[in-house]
Amino acid sequence: MGLLTILKKMKHKEREMRLLMLGLDNAGKTTILKKFNGEDVSTISPTLGFNIKTLEHRGFKLNIWDVGGQKSLRSYWRNYFESTDGLVWVVDSADRLRLEDCRQELSALLLEERLAGATLLVFANKQDLPGALSKDAIREAMALDSIKTHHWCIIGCSAVTGENLLPGVDWLLDDIAARIFTAD
Amino acid sequence: MRTVTTWKFALSSKMLGYIWQYLFSSFLRFWFKWFLRHVTGKCELQRICSGYKQGAPRTSRAEYSLESSKSTVLRAAVSVEEDQVEECAMAIMKEKKVISQKDPEFKMSLQVCLWQISGYKRLYASVEDLRKQSFDCENNSHENMLLRNYQAVGRYRFQGDDPKTDFRGMGMLGLTNLIFFSEKYTEMARQVLSHSVHPKLGYSYAIVGINLTEMAYSLLRSGALKPHFYNTVSQSPKLEHFHQLYCYFAYEFDKFWIEEKPESIMEFNRYREKFHEKMKALLQEPDVSLCLTVDSKL
Repeated sequence: MGLLTILKKMKHKEREMRLLMLGLDNAGKTTILKKFNGEDVSTISPTLGFNIKTLEHRGFKLNIWDVGGQKSLRSYWRNYFESTDGLVWVVDSADRLRLEDCRQELSALLLEERLAGATLLVFANKQDLPGALSKDAIREAMALDSIKTHHWCIIGCSAVTGENLLPGVDWLLDDIAARIFTAD
Repeated sequence: MRTVTTWKFALSSKMLGYIWQYLFSSFLRFWFKWFLRHVTGKCELQRICSGYKQGAPRTSRAEYSLESSKSTVLRAAVSVEEDQVEECAMAIMKEKKVISQKDPEFKMSLQVCLWQISGYKRLYASVEDLRKQSFDCENNSHENMLLRNYQAVGRYRFQGDDPKTDFRGMGMLGLTNLIFFSEKYTEMARQVLSHSVHPKLGYSYAIVGINLTEMAYSLLRSGALKPHFYNTVSQSPKLEHFHQLYCYFAYEFDKFWIEEKPESIMEFNRYREKFHEKMKALLQEPDVSLCLTVDSKL
């Protein structure tokens, strides 16, 4: 094995990223994951446990962890924090009743030491539904402007139509890459 | 370098396979059939009906034969309407110049094959219709169905307050399956539900049920369930038969889960996949029949 191969391998290894996708149940995490991966999203059932997908995007190898959001599963979220580069928080923009619940869960996550270095992308999902709150309304309800500990960004999207999923993930990758692959 | 050569070799043998398949299906198969027809005095469908026993071995072969036929009458037969099966069988016999007196059992055997083959397609259509209807709490009949179900087996939990969000992609198909299981196999459903509240091995009964509905649905869609239905239903399979299959999944998955002793519910997808593989392997067997047998101890 030549020196170049070794270097290439190291570089390749460096360009791996671990993304953790969380949010309340029925936020649309699995649908986002499947849509992003080009799979059929019409027959999804609730996630028990987690899904993991490894995919290549813009030369990065992304390991995306999608963990179930139902109440009884949230205590297990902590098992997936380790070495997370990016946290994707998914919000059901049409579920007004549980926005406060959603805000609390997120703010608790941001206190976690093991997530301290992670970039935060908030997906205000289900923008295609008629009753959906706008991205700015979600930003306010979730008090995102008060977050000083993490790089963050909110993007309105629709997992069903696929709208804005790519810009969201691209922003996340750029931010993480700027932080950890500065040598590139 | 070695990997490259093996890869090339694999590619070329794969290509040879394709070429052979092409030659066989477009040219050789015809002469092969012509030859057999003259030696045995029977057409391919007759040979299938007399040579293989009723069920998947016969119907799957008949299906392949019809689909790859050059005759439009035969190709259209796989999607025949239920009430036109007899006429269709007669049209096929006319097309193939089969004389009833010489092969008196053929017509009935062919009809069974046609019911099963076209019935599977109709079953998929009605399952799909039910799946597309979404559960609605505001709809009294939906709400009542759920309440009736709680009375039969006891209350089970959904993720949130609105079960609608849990039925998701499976819609009313998910609910109908849950209900069918508790009404037709009440004792078994109670037993499964009691396992699901186990402090360590417990799981969300309804959510697992909906996941299993999805598994059954995707197996139906891919055609993997054909051998099961061809072996167990000698007419057109109906929705009820699909619900029966779900009951088998619900009961067997519970047994499997308890036996495997998973560490926690977070392992669900791994065991779900394992169970899925197990079912797919069973469905490869020609005699497969995924039927729930009521345990006399219950």
